[in-house]
Amino acid sequence: MEDRKITEKESLEVITAMIARTKERYIGDGNIMLMWGYLIVAVTGLIWVLLATTHNPVWNWLWFLIWIIGGIATPIMDKRNRTTRGVKSYSDKVASRIWSVVGFSAIFSTFCCLGFLFVKGIDAWSMMMVFALIIVPFAEIAQGVIINEKSLVAGGSVGLAIGIFAACCIAGKVALTANWFMPLFILAFVAMMIVPGHILNRKAKRK
Amino acid sequence: MKELNPLLHSQLRLAVISILMNVEEADFVYLKEKTESTAGNLSVQLDKLSSAGYISLEKGMSGKRPRTTCSITDAGRKAFEEYVEALKSYLNL
Repeated sequence: MEDRKITEKESLEVITAMIARTKERYIGDGNIMLMWGYLIVAVTGLIWVLLATTHNPVWNWLWFLIWIIGGIATPIMDKRNRTTRGVKSYSDKVASRIWSVVGFSAIFSTFCCLGFLFVKGIDAWSMMMVFALIIVPFAEIAQGVIINEKSLVAGGSVGLAIGIFAACCIAGKVALTANWFMPLFILAFVAMMIVPGHILNRKAKRK
Repeated sequence: MKELNPLLHSQLRLAVISILMNVEEADFVYLKEKTESTAGNLSVQLDKLSSAGYISLEKGMSGKRPRTTCSITDAGRKAFEEYVEALKSYLNL
């Protein structure tokens, strides 16, 4: 393509051709999702084993590893993805905003729980479980709908179902004890992050 | 009949603006690939569009390589819409 004058008909052809070239549906790879999935499963598994063997609740502080490692790795991986692809679409922007809201609400929820603990001595950490299994699945389902990717909608729905069950347990004062809830939590993140992450990677490789 | 904006009535500049109308932002390499233009020519046309206030250019680094990211401005969006309206009248659409 050159810098030359064109006819009105050619103008229309250029506009149509460029719209068609930018219209390709981009799903992206699942590396960030896999990083979060494996990180959460690994940390949850570690805490589960430590709680089961020592019965010391101090190990619960290890949950913060998820935010620290994930919070550092995500922007680095996201920047690398964008540089490789060379373009940011409107759906990328919407998905990015949704996940930013999830990130900020996670920080706010954490501070609320810390406030309850240090000011009133109340353990409100079960709220974080509901956060992880309701807000995160909602964001994943929304992303799946935006980019038209069924694995995200399906994975998010499994997570959401487990989240609603956990919320019912909290409302019904059924204790979310480590021995049964931790495996369920791991199962939710395998369905929400690890399975769709591998599916996205396979699709990206095929493309 | 309304005159076609001479700044947009050029093959490469119109292609760049059409692409940027459809994405949030695009880098130099992406634009070069989609428009099938040469780096030198594309660079000149991007500067012209930027000087007119139709696009914004953000120069940064990607590792050790320079990276230019382009996005359309409100003025560019308005100019493109007016151009399409004028084009419709020329083509009796």
